[in-house]
Amino acid sequence: MPRGLWTTTVGSFPKPPHLERARSQFARGEISAERLNELEREATIEVIRSQEEIGLDILVDGELYRGDMTTYFAERMEGFQISNPVRSYGNRYYRKPVATGPVRRTDAWTVDWWKFAQDQTSKPVKGMLTGPYTMMDWSFNEHYPSREALAMDLAEAIREEAIALVEAGARFIQVDEPAISVRPEELKLAVRALGRAVDGVKAKTITHICYGDFDVIYPALLDLPVDMIDLEMANSRYDLLDRFRQHRFTKEIGYGVLDVHSHRIETKEEVKQGILRGLEFLRPEQMYIDPDCGLKTRTVEEAREKLAVMVAAVREVREERGITA
Amino acid sequence: MKIETTLSGSFPKLPLEPGAPNVRVVRNRMDQGKSTDRDLADATRETTRRIVALQESAGVDIPVDGQVAWDDEQTYFARGIQGFEIAGLIRYLDTNTYYRQPEIVGPISWTRAVTVEDFRTAQKMAHRPIKAVLPGPYSLYRFSKDRHYRNQEEAAGAVGEALARESKALEEAGAAWIHFEEPWLGRATSSDAPVVRAALEPLFRGRKAKTVLHVPFRSPTGVLDAIRDLTWTALGLDLVEAPDAWSVIPKVPPGRTVALGLVDARNTRLENPSDIAKAVERARSMRSDLTWQLCPTASLEYLPVDRAAMKVSRLTEAARLASGDGG
Repeated sequence: MPRGLWTTTVGSFPKPPHLERARSQFARGEISAERLNELEREATIEVIRSQEEIGLDILVDGELYRGDMTTYFAERMEGFQISNPVRSYGNRYYRKPVATGPVRRTDAWTVDWWKFAQDQTSKPVKGMLTGPYTMMDWSFNEHYPSREALAMDLAEAIREEAIALVEAGARFIQVDEPAISVRPEELKLAVRALGRAVDGVKAKTITHICYGDFDVIYPALLDLPVDMIDLEMANSRYDLLDRFRQHRFTKEIGYGVLDVHSHRIETKEEVKQGILRGLEFLRPEQMYIDPDCGLKTRTVEEAREKLAVMVAAVREVREERGITA
Repeated sequence: MKIETTLSGSFPKLPLEPGAPNVRVVRNRMDQGKSTDRDLADATRETTRRIVALQESAGVDIPVDGQVAWDDEQTYFARGIQGFEIAGLIRYLDTNTYYRQPEIVGPISWTRAVTVEDFRTAQKMAHRPIKAVLPGPYSLYRFSKDRHYRNQEEAAGAVGEALARESKALEEAGAAWIHFEEPWLGRATSSDAPVVRAALEPLFRGRKAKTVLHVPFRSPTGVLDAIRDLTWTALGLDLVEAPDAWSVIPKVPPGRTVALGLVDARNTRLENPSDIAKAVERARSMRSDLTWQLCPTASLEYLPVDRAAMKVSRLTEAARLASGDGG
């Protein structure tokens, strides 16, 4: 009997409103770091419990203690300052790192949070990092002479963190590289930087890529030196499958079936159809089913409902196709 | 000779001063049911006023309205045009910003002015002519997914016609300058020339306003032959991210204007005005039969507002130096 169609998520979960308020209060100096940390730990326990209840196979800590996916790391490194907010779309803003000197890791960024999350569950929890190419591309650079120089210094720092996570017990290390999909002329640099970041990391390695022009980077994308590539499928109406038809997808795939930018809860049937379409081109043991991207822009309830639909759809497909987890 | 200054595209919407009208705060409050459409309209108007005043006090000769109500560079216009629907979020080229992808689902038809009221509002606040900013038709076509037309030239031409109608409405409202943001011209090759021509030709038929084709991020080298003889007034080049755009300058038709994108809109590192002035001098030494504008490489909204404001000051200081005024 084939195994496969394991369920997971891409990384972030929505912060509950009381935690959002607490973060604002902390920013205004109205509550202490200890109090905020206490609330973040409570919320992380809740996210782990929720994932177990929904029935996901591979969990995440939910990143409830992080703001932006680059700024969180830059704030903890030497060589970075943080800018005032910059708009990404509509009314969404983020503070962007500014490399003002040589960047380096001076302390662990996520290991304690990973340990805390893993202590709450017997299921595996992924270690979640942002990749060197994306960190470079999404930062302003006032120091380095080239993009490559900044990316490769970042790769060294990220590798140190990935190895520390594995030493702490992580079996899955995800190094997100959403920026890779937009500069095909720099794919070789991205491959080299990601390769350095996961060099010697003894775990299943994953990278997540989203919202780009896959016409120009596929199948070169398969050169990325990781075990699994996580892709948004639903947002592009599964158009990527046409590329898989032309050139077989050779790695494991994180197969996104939920549109994380829509309030609408998908139906079980449409998620199921998305998975079945994937099975025309992919083997079940290649496929990890998840949302298109992080869920942090949804409400807690929307995220839960979407994931419940996803797990129900996977269960039906497994049953119909005789696939076990 | 005076070097005129202008901006490209949008401008950061957040205020420099805490407590000033803030569209971000109002939109968040609207999501919570605590603010109204009227609150948003007020904040939008006051933010536009601030952006126009910032440019005028820095000495920008041809200011823009900052596109305060625009979620991204495409959909504000596309939403107002029949034949478009707005779909999922997609990254805007190689920037870490996003847009909702317009989809062409039926015949494209311009039925009403989309940007004219915004232009009028900004122009009333300004002492100088406001430059209206629109998506370029070739780029809007390329940013869209075409589910209707069978032929690229027909689709691109229809987008061009819609933007030509919008341009006419802006002209009738008094716009002296109309700027078309055309990042895809930097990615087009000679094989794209027929589609590029189909998109752009309608813009210039009977046009009275001065027009800018601005190409951020990359050089339009690949389609220069296709756009040379169109009757645009100014060609905007990104000379920071695309140094090969310098090679375009010798090929610009006599009598035209080149808008020199020499202030980096995608990095916080501040330029030295005298270095910019030297680069302007380099351009002038290449051609004596062109006129020159100085501008950022792209929309300053890629920067935080404090740096964007500083870059505007550096821009105008550099123009004064290059014009031999205060150097």
